[in-house]
Order: sequence, then structure tokens, then C-alpha cells
Amino acid sequence: MTAVLQLGLTAERGGGRAEAVGDFAEFVRISMPGLLRYGHALTGNPHDAADLVQSVLEKVGSRWASVLRKGDDPLAYVRRAMANTHISVWRRRRRENLVADFPDTGAVAPELSRLDNEPLWQALRDLPPRQRAVIVLRYYENLSEAEIAKALGISCGTVKSQSSKAMASLRTRLGKD
Amino acid sequence: MDDIDDELRKLFNDDRLDVHVTPDATSSVVRGAQRRRRRRAAATGTFAVVAVIGAGIGLTQLRPLALDSADDLLPTSSSTASTTPPPPSVSTYTQTVTVTVDPPVGGVPNTAQNGTTAPNTTKSSSTSTTKESAPGVFGRLALGMSEEDALKTGSLGTAGTPTEAGCKPYSSVSNADPSTVLISSAKGIVRIKLPDTARTSKNIGTGSKVTDLKNAYPSAAVNGSELVVQMTATPAWVYVFENDGTAVTSVRMRLADNDCPGA
Repeated sequence: MTAVLQLGLTAERGGGRAEAVGDFAEFVRISMPGLLRYGHALTGNPHDAADLVQSVLEKVGSRWASVLRKGDDPLAYVRRAMANTHISVWRRRRRENLVADFPDTGAVAPELSRLDNEPLWQALRDLPPRQRAVIVLRYYENLSEAEIAKALGISCGTVKSQSSKAMASLRTRLGKD
Repeated sequence: MDDIDDELRKLFNDDRLDVHVTPDATSSVVRGAQRRRRRRAAATGTFAVVAVIGAGIGLTQLRPLALDSADDLLPTSSSTASTTPPPPSVSTYTQTVTVTVDPPVGGVPNTAQNGTTAPNTTKSSSTSTTKESAPGVFGRLALGMSEEDALKTGSLGTAGTPTEAGCKPYSSVSNADPSTVLISSAKGIVRIKLPDTARTSKNIGTGSKVTDLKNAYPSAAVNGSELVVQMTATPAWVYVFENDGTAVTSVRMRLADNDCPGA
């Protein structure tokens, strides 16, 4: 009787896990296009966007059950994670790529986006990632300053200052100041 | 400013921001998530195994540590204790004494000098059926040790006049009492007096209350003004607690089978 009960519990747990994985796969399938688009806006190029989405979704998927238990909107959770991950990745790359001199020639062709000819897009790509994230969350996600602050884990004052600096940079680059 | 606002909104609504989704994108993400979960589970399992092994090793080391502490008993004047750095695992030892209901350690831990040995007389009250067991060792001296070996330890002080039975008294390097150690030519060391500052592993020493002594050593037998505790060891020996009916006035370790009257 005990053995039967244990088997039943195991099957129940296994079934729960299979269901959770199924939910996650469905979530990925449905949200992937929007997340890639959002990642494109955040990173400035489609390849980095794909890497960012893949990385964050894998992390979230490995803890899918606990993400669901928290009761947050999974999509909002993933987007916040993407913004923060992008900023962290940029910090790491910035440390790794600092060199004293420019290379003689570009070894790798720059990754082109279909928006590369847009001056605003170019100006946006040149922003530091946190400023860029603030702009994306503000104009892409239509989040308020408080929501942006919560998403990025920073204060409202920092959001305001980052936004102000970003807009000033964009105006300067576009010759609109 | 409004121009840039509008341009940004227009830019972020641009269809060119769309990124093509590869057909295997979903399965790739799901596989990656499963891989991460497995890796994390493996890491957690490894950590758990390491923790269990570590805990096991720690537990196995605690008991020898307690015995070592007893074996390292020093002739216990305060000056000697102060020159001896406390072992780094003092807290561990203290915990052992506290947790172990019936620590089978005789002698006097040097940690007692630092006041770190947890008083455990109340806990010992639950050990009424415990048979006391500990080696008859005090510092580098051991009951039954030959005079020659005892002298080699450097723990003996000056020799006194041998008794009629041929037993030779010695002071120790930390105790000026001329009869701290009594050595029989046939049995070796037959008695070691403990200094007033010393405490047994059950925190009994000169000045301890007799009630505490009886709680710590329920097997203590009355012998005149003494309470005697038989210790199971090879060679067999006893703790002799002299007392005035209220408190312990002196403690000595005595070889059970000895040929020195009055030892």
C-alpha cells in the first residue's frame, strides 16, 4: 500500500514537472517574437538580441516553477531580466575590451541592423546600456519612471537623471539642442 | 524634445525592429533550460554530498580531539597554562563536552584553565548508569609509567625521600608539592595529585561542591573522607576526591593496583 502510494506521488510530481515544462515551451513559443524585438531595441542588433533572449529564457526556464509561484507576470519578469542582464553583460564586455590602441583594421565586419541607416537608431546605439534601457522601457514599454526604477532596481532619481542624460545625448547627436 | 519623443515612439514601432525567429528557437531554449536545471541539481547534490562528508569527518574528529585534549593535560599551574596557547578548536571541544552526554575522558583538560569548558554537571546527572572510562594520563605523565620514562618527559621536579615501602615522591615542574607524583619501583607512577586549578573532564576539581561531584560521577563511592571513582582503563585507576563533606579539597589520580600505602 505504501509502495503504491509512493508511486502515485512520484507520478503526480513527474506529471507536474512535465506540465510545467510544457507551459514554459508554450510561453517561449508565444513570447519569443516580442522578446526578440524588445531585445533588438535593447541591444541595438539582432544577434545580440537573440543571444540575450536565449540566455535569459534558459535561466528563467530552469526556475520556471518558482517564477510561476511568485505570481509575477512571467513576460514582465523576463523583460526586466533582459534589461538587467543586458546592462550586466555590457559591463563585463566593457572591462574585457578595453585596449590602449585601436586595431589596425576591423577583423570582423560590423553587425548591421536594418535600422542602421536611421540617425536616431545610431544615436541610440551609442548610449550607455543603462541609459538605453531607460529609454527603451520608457518609449518601447511605456513604463512610468517608478516602474522603470522597479524593473532596473534603481531609484526614481536615477531613472530621471539617466533619462535626462540620454535625451540630452540624443538631442546633441541629432543636432537638435 | 517632443520631436525626439515622437521619433523614439515611431522607431520602436518600426517593423524593421522585428527579428526572425528560427524554427528550432523554442526547443533550443527549452533544452538549454533543462540543461541548466540538471547542472544546478548536480551542483546542489555535489554540495550536499561534500557537506555530509565534511560533517562526518568533523564528527569523527571531535571525539579524538577531546581525548587529545585530555592527553595534553599539562601540569597545571596558572603560569604554565598561560604560556600554552589554547588550541584553535577550543569552541569545538567545548561543544563536544556539552553535546556528549557521557564524555569518557579522564584527567583535566587544559581548556579548563581558560574557563572555556562548559559546566556540564547538570547534564551528567543523566548518566547514572555510565561506567567511567578514561586513560590515567595527566599531561605527559601516565599512571603506571616507569620512573625512567617519567623523568624523560621532563615533567618531574625534584625527588623527595623514598617512603618505607620504597616509593619515591616527586614534585612536578608546575607543582611544588614534593609529593605530587609518587613512583613505585615495581608499578611505576602510582599517584598524581592534581593542582587546585585543575578540573576533570566533568569540570570537577578542588573547590567543587560534593553534590556536583556526585552528579558528575554517580558511581563515586564513599571511603572515609574521600569519594572514589573507579575508572575503566588499562591499567585501572581511580579518582580520589578528598572532601570536607561540602566541597572537594583535593583530587588525585591513583593506580588501582599499587604497592604504595597511603597513595
